[in-house]
Amino acid sequence: MKPQQSIIMPHDLLISTLPYPVVVQQHPQSQVVYANEAAKALCKQLINTKREVLLSDIKIILHDICQTEGNGSTFETRQPIPGKNTHLWLEVTTTTVMQGKDQYNVFTIIDISARKSKELSMIQSLEKEKSLHEMKSNFISMASHEFKTPLTAISSTIDLLETKLQMDNLLNPFYQHNISKISSEIFKLNTMLDEILTLSTIVSNNIEIKKQAVDVEQVIADIKYQYFSERKDDRVLNVQVSGARRKIYADKNQLSKIFTNLVGNAFKYSTDNPVLKLQFLKNKLVIKVMDKGVGIPPQDIPYLFNSFYRGSNVDGIEGTGLGLSIVKDFVERNNGTILVESEENKGTSFTIVFKYPPEITAQA
Amino acid sequence: MNRTILLIEDKPTLSDTLKSLLELYQYTVIVAANGAEGVQQARLNHPDLVISDIYMPVLNGYDMLEQFKQDVTLCNIPVIMLTAKTEIEEIDMALQKGADGYVTKPFVFKNLHAIIKKFIQ
Repeated sequence: MKPQQSIIMPHDLLISTLPYPVVVQQHPQSQVVYANEAAKALCKQLINTKREVLLSDIKIILHDICQTEGNGSTFETRQPIPGKNTHLWLEVTTTTVMQGKDQYNVFTIIDISARKSKELSMIQSLEKEKSLHEMKSNFISMASHEFKTPLTAISSTIDLLETKLQMDNLLNPFYQHNISKISSEIFKLNTMLDEILTLSTIVSNNIEIKKQAVDVEQVIADIKYQYFSERKDDRVLNVQVSGARRKIYADKNQLSKIFTNLVGNAFKYSTDNPVLKLQFLKNKLVIKVMDKGVGIPPQDIPYLFNSFYRGSNVDGIEGTGLGLSIVKDFVERNNGTILVESEENKGTSFTIVFKYPPEITAQA
Repeated sequence: MNRTILLIEDKPTLSDTLKSLLELYQYTVIVAANGAEGVQQARLNHPDLVISDIYMPVLNGYDMLEQFKQDVTLCNIPVIMLTAKTEIEEIDMALQKGADGYVTKPFVFKNLHAIIKKFIQ
């Protein structure tokens, strides 16, 4: 067996003074034949010693690293330091070098402990933030649903009182007026809860979008029946449809919320019958929700779709300022566009456009 | 003869109020606090209609509906679900499981009564 001897590396001086460790191992004998000063210093740090380390020690100290083969591969390794409750993270690049008939594996090592520590701390912070975010979102969802039970109990109790008073012929205008006020406030509070819940799912990105071929005319008929029929003020939603009916590809639930909100606003901010126009054009469906109400002051229009923003002329009219922000989000999630045109004291018109998907053909 | 309604609701405040309201309209009301108790009461009393909450302990409204639909003595009793959510999926799920109608909480009794009358008058 030939005695181990140092080889003369090209640019030996340069490598020996490099600030990062370089180790050369002969292949296939696995003997470490060269280590620069930085590599020796690293080995001292890894075995927590001040004594000099020999080339034969390096193979043992860097056992994990020296076992690796592969030309040009880079990997990360975690090396514990004995006696200290700590470790180093090393990034190792292996290179195969031929010198005559001899093959050598060159390991270039970079201490990435500082970077790793930052990464770890960032991952922990992100996980903590994610968990807090989930907790907040779950809390809002739970609170919104839990509020509905007492709200239902209150509204049913009001119904019970009203019915009993009516049956006993005691329901005079005073009772009737105040019972209606309580009842109306309960439903306003319920709308606010729904909006807060919807916005919290949007903000936490927990919202699921389930697109399917949707008959928009049917969605509008459903919401008209569910929310806008038999109004106390006898107003009605005037729906006008033109063009050849086609389905669009969208989330039915979100469409329903978009129209409920816009039509609800049209009723809330006007005294006439709102109009909803469905125009089935050649390449797109144009939906207009129009009222002849208070309108929106021009200075408010740029901020209209921002969360919690409310028009400067709607003081005294209830609302959270969340509805239109939700509407815009849902329209965009369904690849639509929304525009608003308004004139103060003349009325407002919202225009939503959805393009037809190519696979949905015209219906007879 | 009074029509019998089985009311399945785990919140006593709400079930007490609804019971009183339904009684004012001359219905006989049996109350159960969860789905399992509801199935048991239905087998004993054969109500004309069931009004049930969805989220309840022991047996929820969806699983209760399944038991109703699998039981030949109960499968023809109309069931109206009370749901706290307005999500279409939740309502679709109740209808798929065999519910005959639904109202979302909070509701106006007049609307619930209109649905009741559709089934038992």
